[in-house]
Amino acid sequence: MVRVKSRYLLCEINVSDRRDLLKLDDRAVAGSVKAAVARTHGDYGAALCSIRFCVKYLNAHTGIVFLRFHKGCYKLLWSALPFITSIECRGQIIPCFLNCLHVGGTIRTCQKFLIRYNTRQLHQMLPKYKNKEEKRKIQEAILSCSLTGGGNKALEDELESEEEDDE
Amino acid sequence: MSVFMDLNVLFSADRSRLQSLVETAAHLGFSTVAINYVFEPTTKKKQEVPSPVPISELIGQLPVVQGRSRPIKVLNRLTVVMSEASHFRPNTTEYRAFDLLAIQPTTEKLFHTTCMLCDVDIICISVTEKLPFFFKRAPINGAIDRGVVFEVSYASALRDSTMRRYTIANAVCLMESCKGKNVIVSSAAEKALELRGPYDIINLGALFGLSDADSKEAVSSTCRAVLLHAETRKTASGIVYTRISQQDTLQDCVGSEAPAAKRPKPT
Repeated sequence: MVRVKSRYLLCEINVSDRRDLLKLDDRAVAGSVKAAVARTHGDYGAALCSIRFCVKYLNAHTGIVFLRFHKGCYKLLWSALPFITSIECRGQIIPCFLNCLHVGGTIRTCQKFLIRYNTRQLHQMLPKYKNKEEKRKIQEAILSCSLTGGGNKALEDELESEEEDDE
Repeated sequence: MSVFMDLNVLFSADRSRLQSLVETAAHLGFSTVAINYVFEPTTKKKQEVPSPVPISELIGQLPVVQGRSRPIKVLNRLTVVMSEASHFRPNTTEYRAFDLLAIQPTTEKLFHTTCMLCDVDIICISVTEKLPFFFKRAPINGAIDRGVVFEVSYASALRDSTMRRYTIANAVCLMESCKGKNVIVSSAAEKALELRGPYDIINLGALFGLSDADSKEAVSSTCRAVLLHAETRKTASGIVYTRISQQDTLQDCVGSEAPAAKRPKPT
């Protein structure tokens, strides 16, 4: 039984200014990862990157990105990720850094982790909000987190609106 | 779940920058952060050792660490960059105000003296220039026996390609001589964007020549060993420490964790 195995890296893009996050798109992120790998590991790294690398998912509101790598070389390519200092998108340079949260073998495990992580973020945000209406919204979002049933989508909407309120 | 620490965050006079740095560190998952004051004494003029600003003045509300329920701990640290042994006087009162002490030696003789004799916690390996001296096994083993750790910082590697080469070269040299023991990796971050998450740093350790387990230790248990070592400096050979109680009388307390601190790895 031969099954093609990959590693999915769940990363979070941290920027200093939240509004810059919305300008990102997956091709820009892919381009900057390839450039960083080429800078750090040269032609060998660039070649490894072209095997099975792609950006599987990017959420511009929360800055979460799923990167897929080939299982044999993901460690080497992962070691080049800390050297990313900015992402260039449509002519604008956005200073940021990538923080890896989880490594999984499938997208499903990464999604499960992401749901737990987002729930924790909402829990942390809960004491900051004094307004009863907003507290109720966050509590509803926490309760509706689940793998099936589109709970994840509701989370992202909540996160986005909460973070906009935060400013 | 292990405790991750970043023991080198450069001090800057800008309060908001420090605050955003600490908040980012808490968001990334670091449980402890040490604010580093760099002091470079020269023989020409007598310079004042910078005194640490109390933490409560710097940052109002300490943010909670991601994934835990405790707020982040912030400590003070002093790094002395020196080329002569006479610059360092360990018993002055100014040094006592800092939680951690570090030395960055610039000559081989001084490196030897620091490893064997000086009463410090951390020896910084410079990353911004090619090392002027080679590491020898003898002083490094002496330092490991005493519980002193070597520190490699990675922020300059993020800025410039030549710095990256120096960092990796110096780090690989160090790992060869010390076999991966008693090493910590920390950022010397000036801005919040120069910090990196703990798992990313563990992977970076693999680039420096550390094995996976050693790399993880470099960010967690060795850092904790440094903190314990620093506490024992204030005590009498690590067994007894005194604390002034509210009635202004001295009380003797026995620190039970202290004997383990002399050995970096608990057996």
